[in-house]
Amino acid sequence: MLNVPESIDSGLLAPDRHLRALLIKWLVALLIPVAVFTFLWSGEALENNVLLGIFSPQQSLFSGNVSAVVQGGIFCAVFYAALIALVGYLVAADDGRRGRYGTIELWADMIAYTVVPVLLISWTNDLVIGLALSVVVIAVYLFLRRRVRDVLHYLPPSPLTNIQVIDEEQRAFLSRKARIGSFWFATIFAVISLVVDVIFFLLGSLSTMLLIWAVIRTLILPLAGYLLGWLGGVVAVRQTIRESTNGTTKNGTSVSRRVSKRQQLERLSMARAREEARNLVPNDLPLQSRGAWRFYVVLITAFVLFYPVLDPIFFAFGTNGRLVGYDDLGYYVILALGLNIVVGFAGLLDLGYVAFFVLGTYTWALIGSDQFTVITGIVTNPQIWPWFFWPMLIIGAIIAALWGVLLGAPTLRLRGDYLAIVTLGFGEIIPLFFQNLDKYTKGTNGVSGIYHPFTPCASWFPCIDWSSYNPVPYYYLILALIVLCIFVNLRLRDSRLGRAWIAIREDEIAASSSGINLVKTKLFAFAAGAFFAGIAGVYHAAKLGTVASSDFNSTDSFVYLAMVVIGGLGSIPGVILGAVIVYSLNELILAQLDTIATNPGSFLYGFKQLFPAFNFTDIRNLLFGLLLIIIMIFRPEGLIPSARRRRELHQNTEETAEVGTLDEPPGSRGFEEEIRVE
Amino acid sequence: MSSDQTWSTGPSVIAEPLLELNAVTKQFGGLTAVEAVTFKVYPGQIVSIIGPNGAGKTTVFNLITGLYRPSSGAIRLAGQSLVGLSPDRVVLRGLARTFQNIRLFNNMTVVENVLVGLHTQLQAGIIGSLFRPPAVVREEANAHKRAIELLSFFGMALLEHQEEYVMNLSYADRRRVEIARALAANPRLLLLDEPTAGMNEAETLEAVKYIRRLRDELGLTILLIEHKLTVTMGISDHIIVLDHGRKIAEGLPEQVRRNEEVIAAYLGKPTSAQRGTGDKG
Repeated sequence: MLNVPESIDSGLLAPDRHLRALLIKWLVALLIPVAVFTFLWSGEALENNVLLGIFSPQQSLFSGNVSAVVQGGIFCAVFYAALIALVGYLVAADDGRRGRYGTIELWADMIAYTVVPVLLISWTNDLVIGLALSVVVIAVYLFLRRRVRDVLHYLPPSPLTNIQVIDEEQRAFLSRKARIGSFWFATIFAVISLVVDVIFFLLGSLSTMLLIWAVIRTLILPLAGYLLGWLGGVVAVRQTIRESTNGTTKNGTSVSRRVSKRQQLERLSMARAREEARNLVPNDLPLQSRGAWRFYVVLITAFVLFYPVLDPIFFAFGTNGRLVGYDDLGYYVILALGLNIVVGFAGLLDLGYVAFFVLGTYTWALIGSDQFTVITGIVTNPQIWPWFFWPMLIIGAIIAALWGVLLGAPTLRLRGDYLAIVTLGFGEIIPLFFQNLDKYTKGTNGVSGIYHPFTPCASWFPCIDWSSYNPVPYYYLILALIVLCIFVNLRLRDSRLGRAWIAIREDEIAASSSGINLVKTKLFAFAAGAFFAGIAGVYHAAKLGTVASSDFNSTDSFVYLAMVVIGGLGSIPGVILGAVIVYSLNELILAQLDTIATNPGSFLYGFKQLFPAFNFTDIRNLLFGLLLIIIMIFRPEGLIPSARRRRELHQNTEETAEVGTLDEPPGSRGFEEEIRVE
Repeated sequence: MSSDQTWSTGPSVIAEPLLELNAVTKQFGGLTAVEAVTFKVYPGQIVSIIGPNGAGKTTVFNLITGLYRPSSGAIRLAGQSLVGLSPDRVVLRGLARTFQNIRLFNNMTVVENVLVGLHTQLQAGIIGSLFRPPAVVREEANAHKRAIELLSFFGMALLEHQEEYVMNLSYADRRRVEIARALAANPRLLLLDEPTAGMNEAETLEAVKYIRRLRDELGLTILLIEHKLTVTMGISDHIIVLDHGRKIAEGLPEQVRRNEEVIAAYLGKPTSAQRGTGDKG
């Protein structure tokens, strides 16, 4: 229960004993990672470089690049502000039920999940490899943690399933908790930073100007902390349930019988209540709640958005190579999002998704290059024609969608397994089709000289170098495209069409009997999926500049499918994560390990000497297969499953001891799946 | 249909039939599931189809709703043929059904299930879903209101559970949600397949009450398959009896109850006619 202490007006700086314990818990939990990031890795370096960039550019790593300095500055401000506000939210949202062992476990968890990856990334000087190693370390940690729990006979209390309704006074208390939390976090962090800076100044490695800034910062931060705490409090209060005075409803006013939110909540089953309790405030595990996720999204967005500027500061060298890798990863994410519509939302097993990708790629390859003149005889102006890339992103996607309809129309009447085989066939046919049509497509020799995107130069708009050697503009382009695709995905999912897709996936006969045209709806899913693949294809062709039919393989379809399944069928953050993991494993990590192994100074050099014939890229398929097997055994619903999918796969293992159920619920697996013919 | 009109039991010869089956036959390979079934359902009636297990009752429903295609015969709704239409087209003509073994969308909430039922009443297509113009936003808000309205037909029980996943509901509540989903399609004719199956006496009485209310308050015509003779006798204006795929009797409840063939079919005893020719029914 949320107990409001009597002395609620006792002022900001005098928290009572209970609140003090909560403060210590979260301050330590977050100070350690933030301190490690700032002082042991690059947070401090980033801050200093931004300031130097402003005041004495020649000393800064940004060396006079104004936009980079601005971006770096914005990232710093947003990063620390979000973290300070997050602390406020956590202090407000935590209901303090977890006790002493809970606190210690939280600190251990924070070190494992945040400090270890930061240290590994800075040690290996590579983002992806560092993260991959941290996954291994975390797995070991989780195993050890369970052992320790067994020894101490400690079982963490299961998350509260009774949902509380919060009144005005309690909300004010939450807001106050948040402000206290953020204030103390900001103050302590400011003091620590100042001490570190003074030490460096005395050692002579810090300029006077930076010391002055450190002092200013120490004065600003506590005030900023208080304000940001207010923000954290607002987020926390948003996640509470208000007492409704006269039974206000979510419904329209046309209903004579109203049901209050409280009544609805009282009637929720155990499973449903658990789902709701995970996101409401007060909360047992506020780090995982929806409110905390708002801050994570801000942090991730800032990191991703400003990454090209941050990379040289975090890692000394190799920015360009990494960015090229991430550009490719970007279009894999789009492919995963597109396939998610077909397989995740509508439940159609598509084993030939690469066909649409190939179509999209060749659409721009044949139109946006000299091949267009070869094929059609129309001579194009090389100054004007590259403009065509921008409308071509949509047109190419539409062409791919039309092909989706063409291929789908005769085949979508087939039942699931047969549809899968037919799509497999298309996945084989289309790449071969483009290969054999070499009079137009130049087959395995490939089309070269494909135009890159073109943006005009003006005094107010800088010239952008779109050549294949400059990955930065492509990075932002693919980011924008990914945002667009996520937006489209979300809009489709939460619409009449999205409901129809889920209904089809659940029960085709019931869906059809509710008025949903099966073929038309499935065609829409196919077309929507193909649309995304078309976008990815056009981007791919424009970025590479040359396209050959040997680039594509029908087995790529399985990689795309694996991305969606590993990430979580139907879950948008899930499939993005799945794409990142699969692509990282296949393309980034192993290739990078090989490169590192050739460097005499690295930790892998000795290993390479022992086994000179061994290349890390050789075991790529082995690791990929192992990953699939492990995921399917231990987490078949995927890494970030959609709530629906988790229920679908675990509904038989959950305790069904609800009081409201009289019988074994009909409609569960095994209960009369077919219509009985009488 | 105004509810202060009193409907006499029994077919009204003045009105046109709402549903008409004419010599409908369905063969699955060598098995004739339904043979030459003919009957009419008039607007405002509650008609029951009864018969022992295996008589072909659900097959008749599946033929009407388009899940099966009749081998021969005519099925007409308000004069228009339903033969050859896919189930979703049949819904568009004004017909909705529930299933014997409850086919709800388990991992969707109660409201979401009813919203799926509203599919035919909404217009938003792929463009509307993407851009969400004000018309679509309004449509979705109205759809939500309508869904709540439909749920409120059954009182507080479903309203309280509106955000609950249907697989967590009680059996009786699941039946009600399925009916609400069928009502969402705004049908003229409602087909209920064993709506009281698995219910105890109290729940059955409740069900009978709301089936009557469906006809009285919402003006629906109801065709139902029912096993419990007490329900059929009490609620029906007209009864059709099937056995081994053929219609063996039809008429008012009192007539059917005393019909020898019907009794024989249910109890398995040969009728006097059959005893005469020496073969068992």
